[in-house]
Amino acid sequence: MTSVDARAAEISEQLVRQLAGLGGLQVRDGGATRGAVTVRMLPETLEEATQALAGKASIRLADMFGDNGGDAPTLRLVWALDQGYLLTETEIEDGQYPPLSDVAPAAFVEECEIYEQFGIRPATGKPLNRLMLPPHAGPDFPRLGHRPDQPPEETHAPHTVGGQAFEFPFGPVRQVGVESLYYGLVTSGEEVVDVYLFSWHKHRGVERRLRGLTPGEAIFFAERAEGLSAVAVGWAFAAAVEAALDVTPPPAADRTRAVALELERLYNHAAAMAALCQATGLTVGQSAAEIALERLLRVNTAAFGHRYLFGVIEPGGTARAPDAAVLRRDLPAAYGELRRAADALLSTNSFVDRLEACGILTAEQARRLGLVGPVARATGLAVDARLNGGPYAEHQLAIVTADGGDVLARLQVMLGEAAESARLIGEFLEAGTAAERTSLPSGGGRGLGWAESSRGEVLAWVALDEDGRITRARLRPGSVRNWRGFDDACRSQNVFTDIPIIEASFWLTAAGLAR
Amino acid sequence: MPLWFIRGLRRGVVTTRYPARRDDSAACLPTPPAFRPRQLTIQAADRMVAVCPSAALSRRDDILVFDVGACTACGKCAAVAPDAVAQSEDFELATTARSALIKKIPIRGGER
Repeated sequence: MTSVDARAAEISEQLVRQLAGLGGLQVRDGGATRGAVTVRMLPETLEEATQALAGKASIRLADMFGDNGGDAPTLRLVWALDQGYLLTETEIEDGQYPPLSDVAPAAFVEECEIYEQFGIRPATGKPLNRLMLPPHAGPDFPRLGHRPDQPPEETHAPHTVGGQAFEFPFGPVRQVGVESLYYGLVTSGEEVVDVYLFSWHKHRGVERRLRGLTPGEAIFFAERAEGLSAVAVGWAFAAAVEAALDVTPPPAADRTRAVALELERLYNHAAAMAALCQATGLTVGQSAAEIALERLLRVNTAAFGHRYLFGVIEPGGTARAPDAAVLRRDLPAAYGELRRAADALLSTNSFVDRLEACGILTAEQARRLGLVGPVARATGLAVDARLNGGPYAEHQLAIVTADGGDVLARLQVMLGEAAESARLIGEFLEAGTAAERTSLPSGGGRGLGWAESSRGEVLAWVALDEDGRITRARLRPGSVRNWRGFDDACRSQNVFTDIPIIEASFWLTAAGLAR
Repeated sequence: MPLWFIRGLRRGVVTTRYPARRDDSAACLPTPPAFRPRQLTIQAADRMVAVCPSAALSRRDDILVFDVGACTACGKCAAVAPDAVAQSEDFELATTARSALIKKIPIRGGER
């Protein structure tokens, strides 16, 4: 989605006026990113500006990434406002920038990623972890920019912590979870002292692969950056391209995208519920949730011709339209299956007891770490990219939140959202859907796009050259934000056996992080 | 827990009869392409190779090499050479040897 209403523009203007007081600021028109207010900042004012923005409760650091397009690497920060986005860009000439994660902790993962890919780093010289590239990544290893002078630190906790705790690897091949994951787990025996995810084993270099492709070619890879969010990432990417080229997809195509996105949310939430049952050892409940999941995937197949909804989105519009009659006929029964399983689970005390007070995150933690999706909403934060407009602007969208911040709150948010998705799909079908497309004009530009996946806000930033080929594409699935909250949730007075439960309630992907 | 036991029994068997009986839902799914050698030309083969996003197709002289294991059934080859490609409707692709997934399709359509 790319549309932002007048109020969002007003908020952005206020912020820009405030930032202007710092000096060294220039609001860009020519060459700016469409879909967001773009502000160019000098490195000297970046830290102060970050402090000013991160200190506001209504503003969240949504993404940070590097770009090698200019004379020097450019650092871009995307700030999510109540509605819409503000983007700052700063050229980094001496290879160092202010330590932004000291004032906005949400930036640390990106600081590590930018160091590995572009060789620029925060000026304090603090250790940056290995995140994306494997230890054997030598000088010729493909990356987006320059190789860092020194290799990143290996992510390891001390093998003994205070003489009591020890660390051991968990994975990458293990029983729970649909993807192979590899954690480093620090424990004193039963309690989780620390947990961290190794993701470089699975890095695929998708963003690098997109360079030089046309948007029509690139959408295939964008969808696969996080396959379980194919529609959301595809939509965000397509929206970024559309913003860059200043085109608007037909309204019926936008509604088609929304139908696919809500179907994606439904099956993901059903899968998370099945995983929660598996993690709590409730086998019959798991089967009940998986029956609902399979029915939802079959609805996807019948409506769009693909179980995981690949190939629906294309830049400018959609390649497929849903079979509305099939959706109206089959979706209520499939959703009913999910609802019955959920109702039975929520009336099972032994199940609910395992979820309560497990993996707690507070609203302050969620805000500080820039968490998104059901994980953030379960702490009471009404963070949802669908509020930014697009086809959702014409429909009443109820944002489901909870206050507990624990696994149960996350499940309740997911179930509330599933009900909302089923209702919204009916409304979008009523309003009309179609496989339509606006032709993309030739020429270049830069654009920001977004969508709300079942895991939370997805962002995409795209720069196209005059031939319409991608010079830099940034894809930021929701998982990238929420993995940084996973270790906090695991540490909150939990034991080993809570980890699979917390993991299921986050329902993240390793692929989204290791894209 | 007894309630869940009873609930499970009452729900009964929900799995399909596959492979004894074909699963109807498979009819809507995309399948890897089946090539028609007589309609396949060098130009069509090159067009398909160029658009294949997963590099499942390559051409060696007058042979189109198709790696079924790399195919995602995206349908882009059929879009650029509709006469030479149809859906295989084949899901049973498993083999015991990786090499058995590499198909060599003769290009018999001649240059047009």
